[in-house]
Amino acid sequence: MRLQDFAQVVRSKNAGPRRFTLDVIFRSDPDYQRAAQSEALTAAKIAPLYGVPASAVQVINYPLGRAIKIVIPRRIMSGDPGDRDVYGAQQHTPLLGLEI
Amino acid sequence: MTASARVLEHFGKSNCSEPIRILGASGQLGYGVPTPAFDAGLERAPHLIGCDMGSIDPGPYYLGSGELATSPTATRRDLRKVLRGALKLKIPLVIGSAGSAGAKPHLDCTLAMVREIAGEEGWHFRLGVLRADIDKSVLKAAIASGGVVSIDDMPALDAQEVDAASNIVGQMGMSAFQRALAADVDVIIAGRACDTAIFAALPAMAGFPVGPAQHMAKIIECASLCCVPGGRDSILATLDHDGFVLESMAPQRRATPVSVAAHSLYEQADPFTVQEPEGRLDLGRATYAAIDDRRTRVVGAVWQDAKEPWVKIEGARPVGERAILLCGTADPRFIARHEQLLKEIEGVVRDLVCEDAPEDYALTWRVYGVNGVRMTPVTQNELPAEAFIMGECIAPTRARAAEVVRTTKQYLLHHGYEGRLSTGGNLAFPFTPPEVSVGPAYRFNIYHLMRTANLDALFPLEIETL
Repeated sequence: MRLQDFAQVVRSKNAGPRRFTLDVIFRSDPDYQRAAQSEALTAAKIAPLYGVPASAVQVINYPLGRAIKIVIPRRIMSGDPGDRDVYGAQQHTPLLGLEI
Repeated sequence: MTASARVLEHFGKSNCSEPIRILGASGQLGYGVPTPAFDAGLERAPHLIGCDMGSIDPGPYYLGSGELATSPTATRRDLRKVLRGALKLKIPLVIGSAGSAGAKPHLDCTLAMVREIAGEEGWHFRLGVLRADIDKSVLKAAIASGGVVSIDDMPALDAQEVDAASNIVGQMGMSAFQRALAADVDVIIAGRACDTAIFAALPAMAGFPVGPAQHMAKIIECASLCCVPGGRDSILATLDHDGFVLESMAPQRRATPVSVAAHSLYEQADPFTVQEPEGRLDLGRATYAAIDDRRTRVVGAVWQDAKEPWVKIEGARPVGERAILLCGTADPRFIARHEQLLKEIEGVVRDLVCEDAPEDYALTWRVYGVNGVRMTPVTQNELPAEAFIMGECIAPTRARAAEVVRTTKQYLLHHGYEGRLSTGGNLAFPFTPPEVSVGPAYRFNIYHLMRTANLDALFPLEIETL
């Protein structure tokens, strides 16, 4: 099943001007467990979607919020010349089709 | 008696075991404070109204230029509303990160509005003003003594970048607000501040534990965003000596254990810790429990004092003047070959505008419908039926930037290529002129931590009687 078919929230936003963070939040604990135990949401799988080395990607499981957080460095700092997304709010789409 | 003195005296009584109620009025003052929820909050007799008014989320322009992101009319409306509420209840009003970015021009503009409103309404109060501008010589001395470190791999800071910045601010913490509250005030308006300090300073001073006070502050600084459905309506936090209860003042917004816990993720790289100038908030053992379907109780946050204070410093510098070109295309052949054609146009323009001048500008493209939004390379098999093209030039002067985009527009419109059918023009303009001079462009050139031995001196307090 694709992530977008069962996640409640798949969002991105800056975490400071040099990184963006992706939050994937689930409706139920079983949904969360399924994603947290899946190989799909690991640094190694996410890094190529964003064109960064796996060592630059942080994945943090947050069961209290039924959420998985991913932190990725921005190639261009927020608002620098050439930036495409000052708030970093539209960088979530590569995750949508991930098979869990 | 001033509002801060009244509240501090109330909680200073030895037999006082009453919880303290804090109203988070707005996540960003100046974008509208919904009246029904704010009024409902006032009816709950809060002991403080807090409002965050800015951040660096909207990019470097506002810090660099000194302009407000919010409209003056909406900003005045919001200021009038929260001032009226606080003065009516005789409780402190605390506003942080005044005027979007919290530097001198933003703070001065906010203060001018407050004075104007007070004059119009005939309101009288003691105003505490906390400035957040960091003196360039102080910052350079800190660099020289090894007291400045980069955040998130930012390049090391040097004196040249410090001099280039048009505004530099530091994020003040709880101690600055506590100095102001101790100075007998009704209203505090602060420059750049940690959003948590706005709400946590008073409870911490009144003897409530700092951990839960900071955790509460971290959540209510975004108003009702921690609820389902999230929104910008005011939120009430009731803090006791163990924890706090959250309740949105909009009846349709429910603070649930999961929605509140999930809020720790928002715009944070680390959901378990929050770093402040005076210490660190550890949320690793926080727990969230429903009181009913609209209220959640939170306990377990732990505060650790810092051994020495570090202040987050933000600065922005001008990088030139920006002009843009707005146009669309529906031609399948043009769209299919747009990458090559845009490169060709860059060359044509360069040959023309650099005949008697250096190549002193940068011309960049975003092609919406193809790859204008994503930061990472997009692989797309099917091309869109239409595309929107934005050309952007940053040049040393407004005139130079305009020259480049106007030349670009004309040659892109009429650029000939092999197989071209639409010899009337390659582009559609929804209106003319399609070139817009946007004004100065900025970039963040300071995003660092500065060690300081004297927090108080960095954020001076001024008292004004209105």
